[in-house]
Amino acid sequence: MMLAVTAWLGAMPGFMTPLLLAALGLLLCERAGILNLGVEGVMALGAMVGAAASLGGFGPGQAMGLGALAGLAVSVPFMVAVIVFRAPQIPAGLALAAIALGASAALGRGAAHMPFAGLAVLGWFDELEGVPVIGRMMQQDGMVWLALILAAALGLWLARSRGGLRLRAVGEDPATADASGVDIQLYQLGAVAAGSLLIGLAGAYLSVGGSNIWTEGMVAGRGWIALALVVFAQWSPLRAIFGAALFGGAEALIPRLQAMGVEVPVYLLSMLPYALTIAVLVLMAFSKRARQAEPGFLGRAYIRQDR
Amino acid sequence: MTAFPKLPRRALLAASLAAGLTQALPLAAFEIQGEPKVAFIYAATARDGGWNEALDNARMAVEAQLGLEIATVESVPEEATALKNAVDLFTGRGFNVIVATGYGYSEGVLEAAKAHPDVAFVNASGATNAANLEGFYTRTYQGWYLAGMAAGATSESGKIGIIAGFPVGVVNWDVNAFALGAQAVNPEVETTVVYTNSWWDPVKEGEVAQALLDQGVDVIGNNLSSAAPFIAAEKAGAKSVGFQLDMSQHAPEGHLTSVVFHWDEYLVPTLAALQDGSWEPSEWGAFPGMADGTVGITPLSDDVPDEVKAQIEETAEAIKAGTFEVFAGPVVAQDGTVVVPEGEVLDDGGLWGMEFLVEGVKGTLN
Repeated sequence: MMLAVTAWLGAMPGFMTPLLLAALGLLLCERAGILNLGVEGVMALGAMVGAAASLGGFGPGQAMGLGALAGLAVSVPFMVAVIVFRAPQIPAGLALAAIALGASAALGRGAAHMPFAGLAVLGWFDELEGVPVIGRMMQQDGMVWLALILAAALGLWLARSRGGLRLRAVGEDPATADASGVDIQLYQLGAVAAGSLLIGLAGAYLSVGGSNIWTEGMVAGRGWIALALVVFAQWSPLRAIFGAALFGGAEALIPRLQAMGVEVPVYLLSMLPYALTIAVLVLMAFSKRARQAEPGFLGRAYIRQDR
Repeated sequence: MTAFPKLPRRALLAASLAAGLTQALPLAAFEIQGEPKVAFIYAATARDGGWNEALDNARMAVEAQLGLEIATVESVPEEATALKNAVDLFTGRGFNVIVATGYGYSEGVLEAAKAHPDVAFVNASGATNAANLEGFYTRTYQGWYLAGMAAGATSESGKIGIIAGFPVGVVNWDVNAFALGAQAVNPEVETTVVYTNSWWDPVKEGEVAQALLDQGVDVIGNNLSSAAPFIAAEKAGAKSVGFQLDMSQHAPEGHLTSVVFHWDEYLVPTLAALQDGSWEPSEWGAFPGMADGTVGITPLSDDVPDEVKAQIEETAEAIKAGTFEVFAGPVVAQDGTVVVPEGEVLDDGGLWGMEFLVEGVKGTLN
């Protein structure tokens, strides 16, 4: 039993990290008032490019960087459409998802089903190997730690820095921000660009850090879960860590319970992350605090003349 | 929230039996006009590393052996309208033999067969049949039994595992056969099955493999076609068994054998029969097995002891000769009930509708 718990806690960060990275990316976009429904597709493209780059001889770090850049590149039309031309965000986001999913499938043909080395576990905590539970939990790759640091840094930046406060103002009340001299479109472009990088990185981590192989459809709904995760986290990067741990923990639990031969219905187990998503969304709908946390101008187009 | 895009492929094949029973049609030879002009319709990319690639390999074999030139179209969604467009495009250009490759095409291909009564249709893992349409699958459990023997003989911990997609008949028979084969060489062996509830999720498949390895499993059978479980097994120094295609490239050290399709053994004679006008589609669909060569195992790794190799060879010959049946009674389910009494053999209906796991398997179906 102890062994199983250790194995579960050891596996959790690997599941948590892509969700956390994607949620941080989305959170940045949404704090600037942009609802980015393209996340599932952008992750798919990041995963494909990360795998293709690894197969092409790039190291795991470079491969994930290229995956992140691909996430940015494919999001450029979306950014132009919704920020520059103020197109409706929901259809534009869904179009981005479809385009990026299609692009990853079409461009990835030559990279499918070919294993590569991928990201290795960091050796920093090898001395802790003998410590029960913790020893195994510390055996993670660098991206796990980087994602946690990013979450903390982003939380601090949003709460404490001038730029972070301005970004929040843009998503909360663009008219006021505009009046006080903030360049709305510049902040939104910056936020969505950085967000797309993070979402692409999340996808690249799935292939380079996780499976060490790429196939079509491997994101398997994790992008949509990240969208719910942002609501669960009430748009706070620090709370996103706990949310990602919860969702990642649920995802990591399923195969372990099955491998232990625990008699739990498989269909119910597979439903777990999604049922959790809906439960969280319903609970949040009842929470006054959560509603207050939502950026006031999320999903709407700001046009100065209408002020 | 997520769709299961691959669900229609083979899922719910169990229902095919019921569908087949109500669609009894008179048996007669079907002739096409002129030389066969053949087109393949794939639900995903043809070189997908698994299911479609096995069929695509057979396509090339057909081209070489029968001197045919075959047209292909890839990534046609498994829905009636998409299939209809693809079929109409080919028939409009004079194609008279359509090879579809997915369970999800079952309904659409039946409609197409009715709409084009002068065109011959076959559908891999298809659940529908007509005067000019034959669904075909193969007895994969025979190969999995042999692979199970190899797994049982090489496991040091006495624990083996199998990663599978959805708990439906065609998958359950592989799981049970794998366990029964292992038990044949090591009665104490424990087989853990994990259903991922997806045909395609390498992240999950890799993690399932890791979870099994953590539980002390040292031979992993992968009933799905991603390479992730092989990578995990190889890293841990465990053995592995592949499916659909030869998976040895993904696990050069630990690969024991792969249960592989040889669809050319069905498609070459079928298309040859269409060439000479003697094709008689079966009203129940074609269901060949190892005796017909449509399924088999790749050469066993040297980790399998010689005497077990000989035993596997012997069993394979007995399966081909029809003197050995994998699901011959007594077959005992997990809960101890006898599902196939001594002296009886599970019939095809029982195979398609297999809703039990055998004794010695850890895991659950629903």
